[in-house]
This record gives sequence, structure tokens and C-alpha cells, in this order.
Amino acid sequence: MPLDRRTFLKGLGGSLALPLLEAHAGLPQVAPTRFLVVGNPLGMHPENFFPTEFGPLNSLPTTLQSLEWLKDRITVLSHTDHGMVSGHGREISFLNGILPAQSGAYPEKNLSIDQFFARRVGSQVRFPSIHAALERGIRMSWNANGVELKPFTDPQKLFDHLFLNLSAEGKKRRRDLLERNGSILDTVRPQLSHIKGRVSQTDLERLDHYETSIRELEGSFADRAQWLDRDKPTFDISEHFNQFEVTVENRYNAIFDMIAYAFQTDLTRVATVAFPNELKYTDVKGVTRGYHACTHNGKKAEVIAELVAIESFQIAQLSRLLKKLDAIQEPNTNGTMLDNTIVLFGSGMGYGGTHSNRNLPILVAGGGFKHRGHVDTQDASGRNMPLSNLFVRFIQRFGLETETFNTSTGSFDLAHA
Amino acid sequence: MPKHWLSILAAGVLIAGNSILASPQLLEKHCSKCHNEEKHKGDFVLTQLGSMPASDNFELWSTSLDYLSSGEMPPPENSSISDEDRTLLIKFFKDGVQSHSVTADAAHQPRPRRLNNREFANTVSHALLIEHAGSHHPTANLLGDTLQNGFDTSGEALGMSEFHLDEYLTSVRGILDAVILSPTRPPTQDYQISTDRLRMTSLSQRRRAERCNRTPTSIDFLDIRLRVYFENFKVVPHSGRYQLKIRATGIDRAHYDASETGIYDDDPIRLRVHLGNQIRDFDLPDNEVLEIELDEWLAEGTRIELSYPTDGLRLRGNGNFKFQYAIAHDHLKKHDPERYQNVINREIPRAPARTAKNPGHWSHWTDEWEGPRPRIFNAEIKGPIYEAWPPKRQTALLGESPRVSDAARILQPIAERAWRRDVSRDELQPIVQLVRSQAEKLGTVQALKEGIVAILISPAFLMLHSPDLSVAERFAEKWSYFLKSSPPKVSFRKQVASGQFEEFHQVRDEVYRLFRQAEVEAFLDAFPRAWLELNRINFMAPDPDHFPLYDRKRLSEDMVAEALHFFRHVIANNLPLSEFLEADYSFVNADLAKVYGLSDVPADSKLRRYQFTDGRRGGLLGMGAFLTLTADSLTTSPIHRAVYVMENLLGIHPSPPPPNVEIQEPDVRQARTIKEILSQHTADSNCATCHRGIDPYGYAFENFDPIGAWRDHYKRPGTTAPSRAARQRHKRNNLERIAQGLAVLPAPWEGKTMAIDSSARFRNGDAYQGIREYRELMQSDVNRRRFVRSFISKLLTYANGDADHSTALVNAILKRSEAHDFRILDTIAAVIHSPSFRN
Repeated sequence: MPLDRRTFLKGLGGSLALPLLEAHAGLPQVAPTRFLVVGNPLGMHPENFFPTEFGPLNSLPTTLQSLEWLKDRITVLSHTDHGMVSGHGREISFLNGILPAQSGAYPEKNLSIDQFFARRVGSQVRFPSIHAALERGIRMSWNANGVELKPFTDPQKLFDHLFLNLSAEGKKRRRDLLERNGSILDTVRPQLSHIKGRVSQTDLERLDHYETSIRELEGSFADRAQWLDRDKPTFDISEHFNQFEVTVENRYNAIFDMIAYAFQTDLTRVATVAFPNELKYTDVKGVTRGYHACTHNGKKAEVIAELVAIESFQIAQLSRLLKKLDAIQEPNTNGTMLDNTIVLFGSGMGYGGTHSNRNLPILVAGGGFKHRGHVDTQDASGRNMPLSNLFVRFIQRFGLETETFNTSTGSFDLAHA
Repeated sequence: MPKHWLSILAAGVLIAGNSILASPQLLEKHCSKCHNEEKHKGDFVLTQLGSMPASDNFELWSTSLDYLSSGEMPPPENSSISDEDRTLLIKFFKDGVQSHSVTADAAHQPRPRRLNNREFANTVSHALLIEHAGSHHPTANLLGDTLQNGFDTSGEALGMSEFHLDEYLTSVRGILDAVILSPTRPPTQDYQISTDRLRMTSLSQRRRAERCNRTPTSIDFLDIRLRVYFENFKVVPHSGRYQLKIRATGIDRAHYDASETGIYDDDPIRLRVHLGNQIRDFDLPDNEVLEIELDEWLAEGTRIELSYPTDGLRLRGNGNFKFQYAIAHDHLKKHDPERYQNVINREIPRAPARTAKNPGHWSHWTDEWEGPRPRIFNAEIKGPIYEAWPPKRQTALLGESPRVSDAARILQPIAERAWRRDVSRDELQPIVQLVRSQAEKLGTVQALKEGIVAILISPAFLMLHSPDLSVAERFAEKWSYFLKSSPPKVSFRKQVASGQFEEFHQVRDEVYRLFRQAEVEAFLDAFPRAWLELNRINFMAPDPDHFPLYDRKRLSEDMVAEALHFFRHVIANNLPLSEFLEADYSFVNADLAKVYGLSDVPADSKLRRYQFTDGRRGGLLGMGAFLTLTADSLTTSPIHRAVYVMENLLGIHPSPPPPNVEIQEPDVRQARTIKEILSQHTADSNCATCHRGIDPYGYAFENFDPIGAWRDHYKRPGTTAPSRAARQRHKRNNLERIAQGLAVLPAPWEGKTMAIDSSARFRNGDAYQGIREYRELMQSDVNRRRFVRSFISKLLTYANGDADHSTALVNAILKRSEAHDFRILDTIAAVIHSPSFRN
């Protein structure tokens, strides 16, 4: 049953004290590894993002100022990218290094790294992954069918999705629906086999997708039925909405708070948040223009200042979340939640002003890594490192044995503390 | 090395006949200097041609033919090929291309692909015998269709996943819930919506105070960002037919100067009724009450709202509506000093300190607003009304009192409409089984509903070009989706099956009929949008500071409307395709007239035919839509425009730049024109090979700025930053000019202007000085044919969901099109009649 906004604002207060973990087996014996991506579609103004010197970070560039408190525990990578040519539309390869058009060459299409992890985590948690943005997404999450995943663009809907429990009646209805939908899938199967029997090899591929979809949806129904009986944790984000004017900042605060809490209660272990091009950032101080227009600033100082204000806002939002994660002790360990959460900030575009997709702005935090400050990843012959090398390192940190991910040529050197 | 390819080519001679005997030698003589293994200019080596065209090098053969025919190759400055040799070489390639016959296409069948969202909604409606999928946004949860080069019909981009399937289940159930209702009949009720129950709401997620001028009997729209809703009828309580009456009028049409409000005196004041996702617009009469009457089937949960659609009221300040209130200040101050003083006396003492100092501040004048606006008095709603129970739309599907034992008979016609083919009862067995097993628990009607869900989740429904269609069924399906984005009527399927469209003239007559009877709205909207990539227009929107009118008067909508209107005009008169390139007219309204610098256009928003006499505009090449969507936000790019013309209008596909090029960031402060910057391309031999072929297609448009307005000079920005006050003064001054439709003046600190060089020389030696001569060159026979070929190829891409068709197929269609003077409807008919459609 949908509850109205008032319920969301008032009804769930006062239950913040002791979050209950979601996982059925109680506390996980080993602290889970989590993965968070925060991304934008237009890159970062390079002069204000990349530190001037390599090595430990003494002073931070303008855009990164809000991370001052964490400056010894982050890694900024220079000269890494996916080797894409210039232009918009290629930033969607941020988390996989592959454009949809090229994805046919890969068995798992342009599966993005977040979904790689989400699938691995599977039904150990209620939600394999959660995706949020305001206004619209930036097309960074892709499943193994090469289909992009749609983020929640309304904090209210994300809240309902994460924290609202169904009534007993609602649960029964949901369970009935799952069963009926399951029967429908059984019913359409024979026709699919019949059609598949009549086509040539090249036509088979799309019908195979259909079949895989049916199978995976059935699996997903089974997982959903399991979770249906367990209560979700309770949470309150009303503080962000009790304003006369609810700003972009309030709404992102709400999103990031929900993600932190979802991590804390093990509702999910994989999350992505996007700062889209289409959002009006005019709530942010000093911003009057559109985001995209600011990247095409013709090097005018006042327009660059607006761009940097937007980018600093994005980093500040990230910093706020990291602080939150760092304040939460991870059960059964000496570390904090941040130490068990791999955090990636960046973009699939280098810098919108040049339309360059080389030298992507990439920042890593958390994950229990021994962070390295500002690292030049270019090799001796002047070639940029494939960003997928960093993803290989992430996969290894996740406890999976692998040497490659899509276009990788190795693994980025980032020791685990 | 030359020996190597010579011997390969020689092998082809035997097959292709006498006429080409001399050609391998000619190729060596005229082409091998550049296209050898060492130099491989344009990334092309002659050996790649092999001895005969094959599927993997056919593109090279046809490109070579195109370059030879247009005279671009061999390049005139480096070659002295005789006309005779050129003719022989052209013949050689023509024969080769033709030998790679239509058989290649006979083998090509469009692969199955998923329905896109438009087609999905239409197909469900067709299967369920309803006018649209439902007013309650039942398909809004589906993933958006990814465009491939503008096309939403691309099989590669339309993927399938468990996520899709899950969303389809949700969507189909949502649609069915508004067709097959729960067993108890809801009572019909009358809702009187008196003035005090009319409320205002904000569209965005931000809260806004209610701003409307309210009297006991009416409310006026002030803030155009708000919508009116009915406090005692927020959403439709039960699916059913509803009768709505809304009483409204338009007031103060010309009270303020149109140049202040941005609303033309001759434009109607409009009221938009939102019935969920359905929109109904009404032109309101002045000062005379119109009783709007609506009678519609509305789905449970549908929101009813009213809005005031206008592209005006955004001229002041930063384009935010609220600044318009200051017009009331200016107007009263000038025309009614006494009332002006009263407002000052009343408002200033209650205003916060920040605005109290400024009597002209918009916030003091909200209650005094007298701009053109709808005034709404009251409304009433009656419903749900059912002419029978169960409702007719339910009995149309299931019959009066359905029985489970009749499931096969009931579901068969639904499945035939949904699957676009004949369906046997045997085949329905699994679905009948499902209905039987659910009937006990859910009851007969709900169980049949499950059966319909299964029909609509089946691959035969969701996949187009399914291999279980017969040849005739597939032809009928393709034809219908091509022009209507919806399934063929059963009668049409029967006509096709009985062989009524075997001959070209039969296909053509049917195409004529369809277009005459306005059954092809889907094609008239979706195809030109895809072909001309119109949806890209605001991907890189013009800078709102430099091109304020574009943003404030929603010019992109006028520009897109112009392009669509022109397309409809060519269709309605069945004109030759060359009209798109050669027309000296287009369709403009007063807003576009400001961009195009026209003074003799009536002052309203209606598009009217306009004859250009300056030779610069007319047809696609002078349209704001094309010129804007190919420009950056501050500057123009001859390369973007060139690539657009080549790809979308001439069917030439230049290769993208290699991944290792460093592209210099345009710096608007520097004193170099775009042509000087780009001259680097042709100086650097890596870039030159391709760019000499590309750039000339774009330079001619340099006299059109980023929104397509004419300019004689570039403005060169100065270096010293002016004071804030100076900037504001300049901005204000320009805003007034904009409102009057005058060109923006350069700022004094922006420095000098630079001359524009819009001349260039094509690779074949043809040169032009500016857009007039360029347009003449575009009318050459070669370019005209390129255009038609490209248009045919775009039609095939749209219809097939891929661009895999061969040049040979396109040429065959071209031939038929030519036999009918390249007329657009005949060309469309030729595409439908082609083997690619019929197989």
C-alpha cells in the first residue's frame, strides 16, 4: 500500500538508535565489501581537479577542497581512461570501457563493474544494487544483456523502495502477484522454443536474450518472495524536506543518507549515484547557467567559476557521505564502514570543454586501501593506463580471483592495508 | 606490390565481361600512387577491392564508384585523368556493384526485434480494441528507447532483459486493469467543482505558494509554471467514462505590449486539459465564457489538471516567469499613476527591506498582473458512466458471460490481433491451461485476464519480424509498422494474403490512400524526427546569455515544427525529393522570422509558407533546426554541419577521427577564425586526406550563427573584463532589442569583428563562394541522386531496424523512384515494394 508523503515525513521518526541488520543469518562473520560509485557525465575541469604534483597530497586543488579531512586517504589517478575518441555519448562507457556498439564482442556485453559486483552479491541482500540520481540518470550502469539500468530519480520513491514495509494484506497480494507472474512466464516458454526452432543462427541471439530474461526474472521472483516476509529497517529523512524550499542539496543529502543507512543495515552492498547534465544546479551558490553550458565556457573565468562550483558541490556531497561512513564502526572489525566500502568518483568523460574522453578524472577512497595521493598512471612510453586496470584491482579487493576485466592490461597497484 | 593486386583484379575480368578489360591498368595508372600498401591514403588500399565485390568489401566498391562519379577521385589537382578513362573506370565499378546482385538482399531478412515503446502502446491498444493504452501513464515505467543515429527502431539498441520483461508485466497489468474491471459496478456520481475548489499546484518538486488572482467566481492563471486541479476530484476513483464540463474564458489578450510579454496579440489564449497523459487543448474566446465539454474513458488513478500553454512570459530577467510581474509596474506607472501610487502605498510598507527599496521589484506587483491569461470559473464532472455492465470494452473482449470452457474461442481473436497472424486453437493450449488452472482461485473473468497477460508477454507479441509469420503476414506487419507504428488490421492482412499488392501500382495506390486518409500520423512525426535527428536539437543548446530569444521563446519547438511541417508539405503534394534541397521557401512564424531576419511575416505563432528571395534559405539547408542542432552553444562547427549534411542528406559516411588525435579546445578569446584553426587539418597530412573531403560540405554555413541567424562577421571577444554595471547596462539594452526582434549588439568591450570566409573547394574541384553557390552545387545531378539514395537508405533503416541493406538494393529502389520523378510517395511505395520488404 502506498503511504502518503506525510507518513514519510513524520511517521518514521525516532527509530534511529539501533539499526537492525537485514541479513538473515544475523551479523555476517566477515565484514562485507561494498562498492559505491558517484559519477557525472561531463568530466571535471582539469586544472581544478588534478593536483599539480604527484605523490602525497599536501594542498588540494579547488574542486577537492571539501576532502581536506581525508586527503591522506584518497588516490587521484592521472592519465587513465578507456581510450575513447572525443565527443559526447562515450561517457556511458565509464564503468565498463565498452560502448554499446562494441559490446557484441563481449560475452557479457557492456556489463558495468557495479553490476558485476551486484550479481556476485545476488540475493545475499535484499537489493543487489541501488541506483539514484535527480532528474535522470547518466547511463552508467549496464547489465549483462547490454541494457542500461534506470536509477530512482525521486528520493521519495527511493525511500519507499528501500524502507517501506507492506501490510500483511499487501504482502499477501504481492505474493499472489509473484505467483501469477511466475505462471505467465511458464506459459510463454513453449512458444519461445517453437519460434527458436524456426530461425537461423544469427537471429537466435535476440531470442536467446528473451529466454535468459525469462530465466532471470523467475530467479528474481524467487528472491523477492523470500524477502517479502522480512521487515525492512526503519529510517527517517524528513529533516531534509522540512524546509520552505527543498533544494538540490537537500535532495542529494537525503539520497546519500539513505545509501549510508542501506549499507549500514546491509540492505544492499552496491550503489551508484549520478549528477546528471539535465539537473538545474542553480540552487548551488554562484551557479546561474546550465551544467553543460558551463563546460563550454570558452575559457571565460566567470563561467569556469560556475563550473567549478557545480563540480565542488558534487565532491562536497561525496565528502559528506564519506564522513558519515567513516563515523560508523564496522561490526567485527577494527575499521569503519568506509574501510570496507570501495568508493569511486569519476566520469567517463575527461573534460566536457574539450570533449576529450582521455585522462578521466578518477578519485578512489575507502576500501581499506593504502592510498597513494596523486598517481601518474602513464607508462614509460607515454600510454595512459586503461581504467579497467583499476576495476581489476577492485574485483580482487572484492575477494574474486581475476586478472582481467574487459579492456584491462593488468591490475592497478593499490595495496590493501 | 602492384603486381599483387593486378593479378587479383585480372581474375575478375573473366566474369565481368569485356568492358572492364582495361580497368585494372587504369586503376594502377590513376589510383595506385596514393592507395598502395605504403601510403594507404584515406585508409584505403586498392587490394582491398579484391577481384569482385563481396559482402565485406562491398562498401568500398560503392564508395569508389561514388567518388569517381562525383569527380572527387582522383583529386583533380594531382591527376590528369581523361574523360574517357573516367567513364571506363565508372563503368568498371558500376558493373562490379551490379554483379553483386540483389541476391545478396534476398538473403537478408530483418532480424526479430523488440517493439519500441510507441509500438508497444499501439499494439496493446489494437489487441484490446481500445483507443489508447490508458490515461494513467501505464507505460511510463518502461525503459526509454535508446536512439541509434536518431532512430528508435534499431534492433541492436532495443535490447531485452529480465528488467524489461518485469516492466512489461507491470505495464500490461496496468493497462488491463482499466479495461477489465472488478465485479462490482461503482455508482455514478456528480462532482460540482465550484470556484473555491479550484486549486493551484506546482509541477516541480519544489513547493510554491498559490499565486492566482482569485475572486469568488473565478481564478486566473498567473504563474505559468502552475497547474489547476480540482480539490474534490484529484484523481479518477474508478475506471469508466466521464463527462467533464469546464467553464473558462481568455482575458487581457492585448493589455500589455506584445513585445513585453512575448505573446502575440493574434495568438489565441489556450487552456490545456491534462487527463493523465492525454492532452486536450482549447482556444478560449475573449471575454466570453466557453463551456468545454469532454466525454472520455478515464482510467482509475488518472489526474485531471489544467494548464496554460504558452511560449511567452519569459522575456524578463533570467527568463524565469516571476520577473514578468514587473511589466505590471511599468504599465501602471505609465498609464495609471493613481493606481500605481496606491499599490506603492500598500505594498512597500509590508515588503522586506531588500525589496522595499526597489518599487519596480516583481514581488510587489503579483496581484496587479493583467497579462493575457485563462480565467476559469468552475467545472463539473459526472461519472463513472457505463452504458452497460459489465462495460462494453470488457464484453467486446470476453463476451457477456464468459465460461472457462470457451477460453480458446475467446482468446483466439485477441491473440490474432496481438500476434499479427492467424492463430490455431492448438497453439493456445498452454494459455488455455493457464486460464483453467487460475479460474478456481481467481474466478473466470480474472483468469481470462491472466490469459490475456500471457498473450501480451509472449515473444510473438513483443518481437517484430518474428520467424513464425508467413511471408504475407510478415509483409503486412512490416508495412503497417513502417507507416503506422502499429499492427496491421485483420482486413489488411487478408488483402495482402490474397495477393492484392503483388504489383507496384497496387502498392502505390494503397500508399496514396493511406497518406490521403491521414492514417500515417506516426510516420509523419517519427520518421522525419529520426532521419533529421531533430530530438538532438537541445543536446547542446545555444547559450542562453548570447541567444536569449532561443531559450525564452522556446525556439527549438518552432524550429522542429518547421522541419516537420515542411516534410508534411512535401508528402501532401507528393513532390520530388529534390524539393528538400532545392525549395526556395519554408514555413515560418513570427518567432522564426526574428531569427531569419524577415519583416513581412504576420505577428503570430502560426507557420505559414514564406518565399525567400535572397537565395540563402528555403528547404532543409536553411532551416534553424539543422543549423542549431549542428552547432555548439557559443560557436558553430563547420565540421559538425558537414558531417550532418554528408551522413543524413547525402549518404556519405566519413570515417571518425583516429583515437590518438589531440583535439584543441576552441578558445573564444583567440583572434583566429574557425577556418584558420581548421586549416591545421589540411596542413597536417594525417588529417588532410579525410578533411579535404569533409570540410567543404560545412564552410558554406558559416554565415549562420549557432541558432541559424545570418551574420556577416564573427564577433571577437575582448580581453579586459568590464564592470558589473556596464555588463548589466549592456544586457538590459540588448533585452529590449530582443523583445523588439532586433539583432543583439556586440558589447563595446568585445573588441573587433572578424570577417567570415564561407568559401571552399570540394575535392572534385567544384568551388563556391558562400551559401548561394553551395546550394547550386547541391542541385547537381550527382548530389540529387546521392540525396535520394540516402533518403531511401534512411527509410530502409527505419523500417528494417538495421542499416544492413546493400547499395544494390538501394539502387534498384532508386531506379523505380526515378521512373516516377523521384516523387516522395512513389519512393516510399518503391521501398515497400522492394525485396527487402517482401521476403
